[in-house]
Amino acid sequence: MGWLDANLVSILNGLALGGLLFLIAVGLSLVFGTMDVLNLAHGAVSLAGAYVGVAVLSPSAGFGDFVVALLIAAALGLVLGAGLAAMTHMVSGHLRQALLTLGIALVAGDVLREIFGADVESVPAPLGLDGSIDVLGNAYPVYRLVVIGVAAVIALVLYLLLDRTQLGALVRATVADRGMVEALGVRSDLVLAGVFALGAALAAVGGLLAAPVLGAAPGLDDTILLLALVVVVVGGLGSVRGALMGALLVGQVQTVGVSLLPDQASFLLFGAMALVLLVKPRGLFPVQGVSGANP
Amino acid sequence: MTSTSGGPSPTSASIERPTPAGGVGASSSRRSRARLGRLVGLAVFLVLAALPIFLAPYPISLAGRILAFALLVVSVDVLAGLTGLPSLGQIAYFGVGAYTGGLVAIHASDNAFVQLGAGVLVAALVAAVTGAVAVRASGIVFLMVTLAIGELTHKLADGLDAVGASNGLAGIPPITLYPGGEPLVLAGVTYWWVLLVFLIGFGVAATVSRSPLGRSMRGVREAEPRLAAIGQLSYATKLAAYVIAGAIAGAAGTAWTVQTRFISPGDLAFSVSAIALLSVVLGGAGTLWGPVIGAAVVVLIRDWVSGYVSGHGELLLGLLFIVAVYALPNGLAGVASGRLRRRRAAMAGAPVAGEGQP
Amino acid sequence: MPNMPVCSRAVSSGRRRACGVGVVALGVAMASVLAACGGGSLSSDSGSESSESVKIGLVVPASGVYEPLGIDLTRGFELYLEQHDGKLGGKDVEVVKADEGEGPDKGVPATTKVITQDRVGAVVGLVNSATALGVKDTLTSSKTPLIVANAGADTLADGSKYIWRTSFTNGAVGEALGAEVAKEVGGEPVYLMASDYAAGRESVAGFKKSFEAAGGKVADEAYTPFGTTNDYQPYLSKIPRSGAKAVYVFYAGAEAVNFVKQYDAFGLAKDAPLYGAGFLTEGGVLKAQGAAADKIKTSLHYSDQIDSPENKEFVDAYTEAYDAAPTVYSVQAYDAAAVLDQALEKADKTDGESIAEALGEVGEIASPRGTWSFDDDHNPDQPYFLREVQSTGGAPVNAILSPLND
Repeated sequence: MGWLDANLVSILNGLALGGLLFLIAVGLSLVFGTMDVLNLAHGAVSLAGAYVGVAVLSPSAGFGDFVVALLIAAALGLVLGAGLAAMTHMVSGHLRQALLTLGIALVAGDVLREIFGADVESVPAPLGLDGSIDVLGNAYPVYRLVVIGVAAVIALVLYLLLDRTQLGALVRATVADRGMVEALGVRSDLVLAGVFALGAALAAVGGLLAAPVLGAAPGLDDTILLLALVVVVVGGLGSVRGALMGALLVGQVQTVGVSLLPDQASFLLFGAMALVLLVKPRGLFPVQGVSGANP
Repeated sequence: MTSTSGGPSPTSASIERPTPAGGVGASSSRRSRARLGRLVGLAVFLVLAALPIFLAPYPISLAGRILAFALLVVSVDVLAGLTGLPSLGQIAYFGVGAYTGGLVAIHASDNAFVQLGAGVLVAALVAAVTGAVAVRASGIVFLMVTLAIGELTHKLADGLDAVGASNGLAGIPPITLYPGGEPLVLAGVTYWWVLLVFLIGFGVAATVSRSPLGRSMRGVREAEPRLAAIGQLSYATKLAAYVIAGAIAGAAGTAWTVQTRFISPGDLAFSVSAIALLSVVLGGAGTLWGPVIGAAVVVLIRDWVSGYVSGHGELLLGLLFIVAVYALPNGLAGVASGRLRRRRAAMAGAPVAGEGQP
Repeated sequence: MPNMPVCSRAVSSGRRRACGVGVVALGVAMASVLAACGGGSLSSDSGSESSESVKIGLVVPASGVYEPLGIDLTRGFELYLEQHDGKLGGKDVEVVKADEGEGPDKGVPATTKVITQDRVGAVVGLVNSATALGVKDTLTSSKTPLIVANAGADTLADGSKYIWRTSFTNGAVGEALGAEVAKEVGGEPVYLMASDYAAGRESVAGFKKSFEAAGGKVADEAYTPFGTTNDYQPYLSKIPRSGAKAVYVFYAGAEAVNFVKQYDAFGLAKDAPLYGAGFLTEGGVLKAQGAAADKIKTSLHYSDQIDSPENKEFVDAYTEAYDAAPTVYSVQAYDAAAVLDQALEKADKTDGESIAEALGEVGEIASPRGTWSFDDDHNPDQPYFLREVQSTGGAPVNAILSPLND
């Protein structure tokens, strides 16, 4: 029990970070799995969501205001995702997509910096959720517990959506065999645009939820993108379950791992990724038919 | 992933692809194109060599940095363009070469050849060790493994006090060309050394490209699933390509340090890796010379033009990338080879998932 | 070998050859035009001289995480110029600006450009110590003085003729607080934390020196990876377990915002009050920290709350010009201009060597922070203040509690 007590806060933090990373990364993974598109603008979308919080929320914002902000962020994400889907539609080949989406990310980063300035901006947690409660003798911020809860709920909803609905079946079919789906007469490009938009909406929401913890500043989009890429590769491309497991793993590595091995903190993330890939080269839960690892 | 956006390399003699000039007289037009190509190459070399006569020290140092970065980009093209292995990790070997050259200069010898040799050797060694593991992967996984290699090297450079940690290595003395020679302090003369290293590195890449190894590399790029059946051959080819690319990147690193006389972990950042890979795409993967032009364009915009738009250099770069993707489907090299007619054909076919043909 | 770029459209091989020759000729022509522009880099040139005007290079971050500091530095410098008709030492000043970026990989080339290309008489600025260390050789070989307006590496200014500093040393800022904290915690252990780079380590080392000399006890030390740590919780959770009754930290910029907010969110302040080097709560970060920064005590050589006529005048002028309160960065650059003003008054010529010589003769600077002068290492010998974050008037400010130096 002593070990748990000492590290409980870290573990909870890892769950919170993992939850946030899941929200942000699942869109990236799905887009890669369904459309074979490498979207390097994903971090910028997330940061844009965080800046929605900066623009809309004041220090006295309550729970209701926060929900409104989340909806705005989601809508913004949908629009950005649809836009990105359209722009990458005609572009084939991972490298050219990388060129395009990185170009978009650079432009977006500059635009955000122009609008919001270069200072680090704070987004307040909603009033009522900004205190701390006692968890087994440790003070722990309420907000982070809420984040864990929200991420879990969204993960469940996504799972139900993909696994139990007609639409979800369509998406999974498109991942597995796009040609067949086309042959059945479905406009697969619309399905894919929808996936793109949904993924971007989740990323924006994730960015906003993360903002009271991480803030909003230029350069954060690069940090988020790198973490999301690691999560996606560790989890397995195109797999929601993989994104969740990958996110939880990365979350724990970045919190409990850093706590246990502070001197090696800088190397833990990529070290862990390298380790996973050594053992499972296609990630923890790879999806059949996804082209990422194959030529 | 073995498909690239650069399209077939102009140097690959492939019967299936008709030359733009048409059927009859195709071989003679190819010969005269080759002759013209050599003339252009000579002209470019003369202009580059003559630059120190006309340019002031700062523009010359910029030109030198462009050449060093361009050589790094060539090494990325050897992997991404020729072998179909896009890599985000070449910066690691560039860094190893740069730091090795710097350390040799500070502690052992200020002879340029010694520094070059040491940098290339150490970089090739590190590439061999890391490549042995890395090339077992392919596609996105390979990309992420190389990203990990690049980032781990970056963090290592940042943390090791022996190489200056976050402050980097300063106080690197100027090079000498022969034992007992005068140190080269003139920017123009140092530039000539950098140009020489660039030409050697580029020459190695071009020679490999035209060798049997180069054919194997392109084989891996085009048809790895089939080659996978042969197994070992593909692995050996990829590893050879990886080590050669690592050596070239190491040479580029030594050239960089010789010119700037300063190397810091920031020069090994992920953003540099990303820009290097994208310069390859911009220039036309697989052509070797296209990425050189891509590298020059990127560095000029990022370091020179950005000075005139106070802090918006990234915006310009981003816009350049976006425009390039739509306007130049085969990169800058594709424009040069008159493939604009091919553009509509290239853009039209949406990829079937898993195939990814350009 | 590659095809001729623009000539592939030519129909016949003869035309292509002609086209090729044309391109080569064009290239030669362009090279000749370039020859008219530059002086070549195959000989060494001495700097430009003039006795009526002087070129000053202002190298500060215009992009990246330090951009807010760059803005303050530029404003401070330009305010002084404006107040003196654009002249320093009676000579017209042409300011050449360059972007230092986030690190030496951008900063060193930018500074080198300003020195070798623009041939400035002096360079002012530099936030990042690594950049300053990286250009030291170039400064010496080109005989151009640098007035460091921020970079705090302890050994950066070591009495070298070409390096002068109007800002601070990392160690001194930490050292100023040590005895005071020892007094306030009365023998209880103190936890030390900092960002793991030179500035963080030097600040903690300086604090530790005076803290332990005053009888203080260190509970433990922790250094967090610089630039990549967003979550301090793994480290914060160790503080209560160490028995520490106070915490001293060095963080700046975005790290300061995240750290202070998380320190507050985890409820640590009630058991262990937070102390820090002044950058923890200086400038834009204070606004972002909001209520989380309340009661944090820091040491620094400036606060806009200093109650002196010079400072009041400065704050009023700055606020009127820029609609924002000045920060320590503004003052450092303002004083750099003041230093150059004195030096250029004494210098007969405006090239680097003359200015470097004249800097040695600069006396006391009547600054908004108080009166100071250069010590033997060319660092400012200056007063430090104990500040506390208070929000009595609405917006939080760094109120002055007492002076700290001997």
